[in-house]
Amino acid sequence: MMRPRFALVLLGFVLWAALPHLLTRHMTDLLVFTAIYTVAGLGVGLLLGQCGIVNLGQAAFYGIGAYSCAYLTVELGYPNVTGFAVGAAVSVLIALVVGWPVLRLTGYFLALATLALSIIASSIFYEWDWLTGGELGIGGIPKLDFFGFKLDTPGRFYYLAWGVAFLSMLLVSNLVSSRTGLMLRGMRDSSEATASLGVDLQWLRTRVFMLSALLGSIAGSLFAHYVSFTSVQSFTVDKSIGFLLIPVLGGVRSLWGVVLGAMFVTILPEMLSQFGDIHQILFGIALVAVVVLLPDGLMGLLRQAAGKLGWSRVSA
Amino acid sequence: MTLSLILQALQAGITNGFIYALVGMGLAVIFRGSRVINVMHGEFSVVGAMTTVLVLTAAKYPYWFAIIAGLLTGPAIGALIELTLVRPMIRQQATEDQFVLLTIGLERAIAASVLFFIGRDGHLLPAFGGDHVFIVFDVVIREHSLWLIAIAIIVVIALREFFRRTTLGLALTAASIDADGAATTGINVARMRTLTFVLGGLLGAIAGILITPLIAVDYTTGLPITLKGIAAAVLGGFTNPLGAVVGGLTLGIIESLVIVGVSSGYKDVLTFSILIAIMIFMPHGILGRGGRGGG
Repeated sequence: MMRPRFALVLLGFVLWAALPHLLTRHMTDLLVFTAIYTVAGLGVGLLLGQCGIVNLGQAAFYGIGAYSCAYLTVELGYPNVTGFAVGAAVSVLIALVVGWPVLRLTGYFLALATLALSIIASSIFYEWDWLTGGELGIGGIPKLDFFGFKLDTPGRFYYLAWGVAFLSMLLVSNLVSSRTGLMLRGMRDSSEATASLGVDLQWLRTRVFMLSALLGSIAGSLFAHYVSFTSVQSFTVDKSIGFLLIPVLGGVRSLWGVVLGAMFVTILPEMLSQFGDIHQILFGIALVAVVVLLPDGLMGLLRQAAGKLGWSRVSA
Repeated sequence: MTLSLILQALQAGITNGFIYALVGMGLAVIFRGSRVINVMHGEFSVVGAMTTVLVLTAAKYPYWFAIIAGLLTGPAIGALIELTLVRPMIRQQATEDQFVLLTIGLERAIAASVLFFIGRDGHLLPAFGGDHVFIVFDVVIREHSLWLIAIAIIVVIALREFFRRTTLGLALTAASIDADGAATTGINVARMRTLTFVLGGLLGAIAGILITPLIAVDYTTGLPITLKGIAAAVLGGFTNPLGAVVGGLTLGIIESLVIVGVSSGYKDVLTFSILIAIMIFMPHGILGRGGRGGG
């Protein structure tokens, strides 16, 4: 079974690498956003799928990542990499300080607390206009470059964004199959039993929250450098709900589900753009439908279909 | 900060506080009856207000008729949601997370439908009592604010009497406290749950119609209304609908004092920081356990 699978992975890789050359610039642009949203959605999906935590605050960390890149490069003229690093550090620190008390809550109240965090963050982004440019935002964020190779087209940024997305998926996949992943599942399915085995649940949940914040921040930094403009409208509660939609629609128990969910929220609005804002209604209905009918999301639906056709599981 | 400015802020805070109280009571009624925190609750207000606007302006019916039409949307949507979605999910023993996701999905779908079918524009309703204002100690009070407060107080008292004195209200309370026990005495527990959504929807629609003469309502209004209502309900302990009145007024007054004293931009920061702190440190709300009795 090893060889056909290897061939399949190779084929997938070649197809992935060739895509920007086959697709229009506009489609490539959407795929870049798919990658960025995958990174942010992975964090939310990890919390929901492995810990049973509804995180409605991811846009806060997405915003921190974006603004630290914008402020440090445009206002202070620091090199690009500092924006990523400072954004990540600040996000992880805030996740630790805020997550430690907040993650004592469970169920509804935890979800509401993260939602409240998202509102607090977007109000602060709005008010601290010395840092964020307020409503006007910050423009002219420099394009990333690697040793003189400038990532100034969607086709070029595509490789970086998906590179980061795949690395994040690898990271999450390793985490889930590690000892920590076992503890996480234990905590999700029977927290008392896991605690009685000497696992510090509070610290475990906080650590996953920090990782989720880190992914959100990196996605925000990528976003800032890609569109070279940040404004408060990009980091609202609606965005947080959008980030939650990604893993839920795709399927919280599967990594590729997150990619599928990210594709759904980026590409569907374009396909339906001639009908105005109808995609928003569909997102809402899709969320309801997934919750009621498809607990494993679109990925679960694909697996069922594959099962009916007699194919074995192909995804890793 | 002068005295009249503070009084003006208090007046605004009490007016808003009663809106938060009505929304919070609706949320608490639904939560007590079904253990669902209804994130789409603010959409009851938006749909109620928008229906009233449309019946009034597009169909040219009289105001009282438009208001009745608007009020009826809340119970109708509430019943529909309970019967088609919540009931099957309770049967499947859905988790709290699933109910959060379900009601967020409904919130998105309804808000987006308002955007799609009605548009981006905000809409106002005529104020009760027109543009008439009272001036007391240099404080300008719109007549509508007084109507709003009076109607809210009547609704609060009516709800309290309904839960305390009527057979139906007692049956609702019984079904929420001990479902099995209530069922053995012949109470139809599932129907009581539908009724809590009907009641919650009605309270949401009342709040929406009362606020729309003061604040233009558009497709984005629903979620903020829900969040303020949740904050009010959490402050009040959540299981006690009357606690939400205390919570809503506290919230409204703090908020308007912050607007006057600090800055309007930080009011949400403060409101939601308080919300998080209360949930962590005072899980039974500001009234404590003692506040849970009655109501």
